[in-house]
Amino acid sequence: MELWINLTVNGLATGMLIFLLASGLTLIFGLMSVLNFAHGGLFAWGAYAGVWFYTVTNSFTLALIGAILTGAVLGFITEKLIITPVYGDHVQQILITLGFMIVLSEMLKVVWGPNQIAAKVPPALSGSWEFGDVLIIKYRLFIIIIGFLVFGIFQYILKRTKIGLIVRAGVLNKEMVQALGINIKRVFLLVFMTGAALAAFGGALMAPYSGVIYAEMGMDFAILAFIVVVIGGMGSFPGSLLAAILVGLAGSYMAYYVPDLSLAVNMIIMVIVLIFRPQGLFQVKG
Amino acid sequence: MTTLLKAENLHTYIGQYHILQGVSFAATQGEVSVLLGRNGAGKTTTLKTIMGLTPASKGTVMFKGTEITKKPTYEISNLHIGYVPEDQAIFAGLTVEENMRVAMRKEDDTTLERQEYILSLFPDLKKYWHKDGAFLSGGQKQMLAMARAFINEGELLLIDEPSKGLAPIVIEKVMEAMTEMKKTTTIVLVEQNFLMASKIGDTYTLIDDGKTVHTGTMEELIANDELQHTYLGIG
Amino acid sequence: MIAKMRGNYLLLTIIIIALALFPFVSDSRTLTILLTQIFIFAILAMSYDVLLGYTGIVSFGHAMFFGIGAYATAIILKKTEPTMLSFFLSIIVGMLLAGIVSFIIGLLTLRLQSHFFAMFTLAVSGLFLVAAEKSRTLTQGNDGFTFRAPEFFADRTTFYLFVLACLLIIFLLLRLFVHSPFGSVLIAVKENETRSAALGYKAIYYKVMSSVVAGVVASLAGSLYVVSLRFVNTSVMGIDITLNALLMTIIGGVGTLVGPILGAAIIQLAQHNLSNLAKTYPIFERWIIFFGIIYILAVIFFPKGVVGTIREKLGRKS
Repeated sequence: MELWINLTVNGLATGMLIFLLASGLTLIFGLMSVLNFAHGGLFAWGAYAGVWFYTVTNSFTLALIGAILTGAVLGFITEKLIITPVYGDHVQQILITLGFMIVLSEMLKVVWGPNQIAAKVPPALSGSWEFGDVLIIKYRLFIIIIGFLVFGIFQYILKRTKIGLIVRAGVLNKEMVQALGINIKRVFLLVFMTGAALAAFGGALMAPYSGVIYAEMGMDFAILAFIVVVIGGMGSFPGSLLAAILVGLAGSYMAYYVPDLSLAVNMIIMVIVLIFRPQGLFQVKG
Repeated sequence: MTTLLKAENLHTYIGQYHILQGVSFAATQGEVSVLLGRNGAGKTTTLKTIMGLTPASKGTVMFKGTEITKKPTYEISNLHIGYVPEDQAIFAGLTVEENMRVAMRKEDDTTLERQEYILSLFPDLKKYWHKDGAFLSGGQKQMLAMARAFINEGELLLIDEPSKGLAPIVIEKVMEAMTEMKKTTTIVLVEQNFLMASKIGDTYTLIDDGKTVHTGTMEELIANDELQHTYLGIG
Repeated sequence: MIAKMRGNYLLLTIIIIALALFPFVSDSRTLTILLTQIFIFAILAMSYDVLLGYTGIVSFGHAMFFGIGAYATAIILKKTEPTMLSFFLSIIVGMLLAGIVSFIIGLLTLRLQSHFFAMFTLAVSGLFLVAAEKSRTLTQGNDGFTFRAPEFFADRTTFYLFVLACLLIIFLLLRLFVHSPFGSVLIAVKENETRSAALGYKAIYYKVMSSVVAGVVASLAGSLYVVSLRFVNTSVMGIDITLNALLMTIIGGVGTLVGPILGAAIIQLAQHNLSNLAKTYPIFERWIIFFGIIYILAVIFFPKGVVGTIREKLGRKS
């Protein structure tokens, strides 16, 4: 029982981190038809920025805010410099965003050196809670709560606010949104920056969770996020949460029971989805 | 009688196809100008070109004396030009209410009052207020598209074939609403249904093979059987 | 036109003869090895060009085919007597495996938007990398293992000539392939999928076949690569290999076949020199950054690459 709960908590926590990465990816894709291969780089930058701000300010809250701002600024730069020049050309977008991914992770090495950096859990969140026989690590629970909170906030924004409506409408029909007087390019930039900020936030949360950060972590996590985006349905926000939890849990259980298959299981889920439901579990109506 | 919109010698390419090869017409304030012509003549593209969705490579579009040919679509829309596209472009996945909200420039009392007034023109929409746009019937989609384009105080409405694929009884309702809208707004209407066009239109522009071939008042066209026969295949 | 083509062939022949004579003229071992590497990567880059340039699809997992060939050859040469027979056998095994894998991946994803293929290949090649790390009994993971090459290749010059011959043969075969009716359909599919579908071509069939060809050729490059090193580790599956192929193709000129060869030379020479520079200027340890930036600029401003741009200029003049 205890084992089972722990594996579930682990899986959920990992799932939430993947969700933070995948949700931005899926929104950016849905709205702009851009698959951002540099997204993992933003995640890694968030992790490094978080650790750096934490050592400088000694406040985890400020570290998270610093990471979010870093992500938003990088998102702004990416959208303006990398995405806009090749807008509308899929092949070029794919090529250029991967190139930028490389630049982002190499820049990390230039700024912070090529070696792994240790990341500490803030004191308030370290240790664990006991529930009867079950020991739950505080920080993992914290990640899970934050993940659901982020989902709730964004779901509210998407469903209830004007900008959320515009984003949803834009996913369905960009031309018509413009014909209704909305400057879609500004919406693009906003969504891109938000997605980047979410990825960086995920990275900052990830750092204390894994204990070490390294420049290539972005790519490793991005692959999981891509799998999630395919499974959840490209452009679907709730789909990315469910798929991320699925991938997180599957990874966690498999890592314990059949460690050799832990990455393979996600691939297998993705292959099954691609064969039977290429539009993903949650299709965005068009 | 002031000219609100003036299109002059519009040329538009879609991909490598030269769709518009010289379309000119003018819409007078307070009137309904109808663009007529066979399928594929270039009527829909003319509206899209005015909206900046398929920008013209040559020619000019003037709106209230200012050139808008090269402006981006959203700026054109913000000049108080409403657009009802041929396929209605309802946001499926958004409710009727949300479709209306996306279109609102401001969500103030005036707009909400106006919304009530518009809903009185299209009572069906009120019934399906919280229904997903995907599940509306063809007629309801048409009404929603028109209501959405009309929600902001508008000077000009571009409406593309509102009668297409609709049952006569629904066309009747759409006509009624348009007659009401006409009181406050100038309309450019693309219409294949000549009966409908002749009832509501004040002037006509005949487009054939991407070119304007004839313009005049609707009475003249109604009287001219030969013109109807040649370009509209009537009679 | 014909005169120009004759000129091209003449130039090609001269270059090949010069390259073939090179090891007998120069006694620089480093240069011979560097040229061998260039030839091998040229084969890889050409295979990538079949995908990117002639079919218009982006793969981020090309390293896995390279890796399949690399491991097939390394393992077979390790486990058996390293004769030429087992070497050729290992190449065939690698090609077969690469063909099967690329066939399956293509079938699964090529009917979807181009994003899927890029993403899927990235993920699957990640899986192959992990598999190579985990199957320690077979691969010895990241540490890798050394093995003996066939006696015939003991002399660097012989191997150099062998790889040059491979490059030439693959170049001619791929040229034949892209200029065949099949290749013309590929280009038509790339230009306009809907229209070629209307003409009755099943785009998916052509795309899958092209990805199989690319995979098989990449596997050959992998086989040659490990024999040149007499060593293999998981880096042959790494994303760096894919990036190299991508970079070479784009810098050299997409959709030209000659371009990737030139690109391979440019990139390999630059890497060689930049990593030498790193000894004096530490900033060059991060030379990948420069490549990344050049690559991004190339995609935006120079999408046709060196050969493509030259051809465009020449085309305009005549």
